[in-house]
Amino acid sequence: MNNSLIDRLDESIDARLAGRSSAAVAEFRELLWVVDELRYVPRQAFHAALRADILRTADRGTSLALRSEPASPVSVAKPRGSDYESIIPPLFVTGSGSLPIRGSHLAVSFALHVVALALVAASGWWMVENRTVVRTRVAQLIPGSSDYPLPIAPGKIGGGGGGGDQDKMAASRGAAPRFAAEQLTPPAVVVRNEDPKLPAEPTLIGSPTMILSPSDKYGDSMAAVLAPPSNGTGSGGGIGSGHGGGVGAGTGPGLGAGEGGGLGGGVYTVGGGVSAPRPIFDPDPEYSDEARKAKFQGNVELFAVIGPDGRPRDLRVIRSLGMGLDQKALDAVWKWRFAPAMKDGHAVAVQVSIEVAFRLY
Amino acid sequence: MKATEHDADERRLVEAAQRDPRRFAGLYEANFRRVYAYVARRVGSREEAEDLTAEVFHQALAGLGRFAWQGAPFVAWLLGIASHLLAHRWQRATTQPEVLSDDLELAAVDDQAERQALFAQMLDRLPPDQRRVLEGRFFEQRSIRELAQELGRSEGAVKQLQFRALETLRNHMRDRRE
Repeated sequence: MNNSLIDRLDESIDARLAGRSSAAVAEFRELLWVVDELRYVPRQAFHAALRADILRTADRGTSLALRSEPASPVSVAKPRGSDYESIIPPLFVTGSGSLPIRGSHLAVSFALHVVALALVAASGWWMVENRTVVRTRVAQLIPGSSDYPLPIAPGKIGGGGGGGDQDKMAASRGAAPRFAAEQLTPPAVVVRNEDPKLPAEPTLIGSPTMILSPSDKYGDSMAAVLAPPSNGTGSGGGIGSGHGGGVGAGTGPGLGAGEGGGLGGGVYTVGGGVSAPRPIFDPDPEYSDEARKAKFQGNVELFAVIGPDGRPRDLRVIRSLGMGLDQKALDAVWKWRFAPAMKDGHAVAVQVSIEVAFRLY
Repeated sequence: MKATEHDADERRLVEAAQRDPRRFAGLYEANFRRVYAYVARRVGSREEAEDLTAEVFHQALAGLGRFAWQGAPFVAWLLGIASHLLAHRWQRATTQPEVLSDDLELAAVDDQAERQALFAQMLDRLPPDQRRVLEGRFFEQRSIRELAQELGRSEGAVKQLQFRALETLRNHMRDRRE
């Protein structure tokens, strides 16, 4: 073989020893394979030195560290752990247990396990305590009232009237007469004196500028009963269940559930100076067995009037959910108590819708 | 049958070493080349291979009392220690089994160890100057120039010695294969 080829072989060997790749000449391929194998042949001196170290360690019994300098000039690596206790023994298998102990790792591992166990226990407890979580809220019918609050009136305002002639039947449905500054004759559905000496048009006392839909068929526009004709169970003339020659459930010659003439009274809606009632005692409704088995969820919407005493009344379902949940929602809301709605510093009755959410977690 | 006898012999060696750590030398001799071959193929340099091999045997000696015979050869346990050390050295979680039971891998390790033993024997039979050149080049990582100075020869002559030594080894290996 000429010198240039031997030089190229040596360059290839240099590249191999340095861990670089080199373009292998076909003629060298087998020689370079021998080079690769030689790289993995252990040195005899190392083999002997390690044997001597092992024997010295074995002579010292359980001591693992090689603290003295090796007799052989060939250096032999010492184990990473400084003594036997620095090796983690495996828990469940037979093996080397060769990983060294690090205190910080053990501490972090212990803390993580404690946190994980706490989370598992807490979530289990929460699931038991809150198998059914029901969210409830009172929905305002007229939102945004707080943006433009009306000033409080200096005195109690309102209006309304009522009447009747102590009939056994509730007042029949019909229209109210017009408003006038004075009242000569109260309205009546059933005219008891068909031949009066001084006929006069029936009116209600109130501002004449308030114009109601004209009709000759008088009655209480809020009455649910269409027939038979009746002046109502009130007293003092007029129509309705109130007192005093007006129409409605109030007192006086006006119209409505209020008093003192004019128009007004009755149930308010939230907004325009009327605050929303606030639930102060609202136990959660129960889940029906049927809905729980079917994993049924959803919302029930109820209509309610919250009286000045904070108690709900006139409850009815507006949006049904079924599976017995409507009745469960009604049963629960009947027990609720509210801080009543306020108008001009006084508690008033308001109508609200209540949405009861049924959720399974 | 031979395998069974070998297992029985190895088991006796292990039990003897568990009773008397000085008997560990037998296990060391029986498994040194295989452990070294396994490690050397997985690290970048001879120094790393020697460090890790030494660490494997020291840890094996320290943990020999906990070794329980489960049917796998003793070398599988040693290679498991080597796997852990390699994984630890590379700073990554070990995904390798603690005790290697892959017969193919064990067979490959045995094959490497056998080739290394052959090369070691053939090196001993080389003329002293050729053997010195190969040991200097491949065991001590010395350059041609350094060896030329040591042997008192020209660089060209040392390259010729290197070439002839490699050629001799290649021819021996060819003969064995044929």
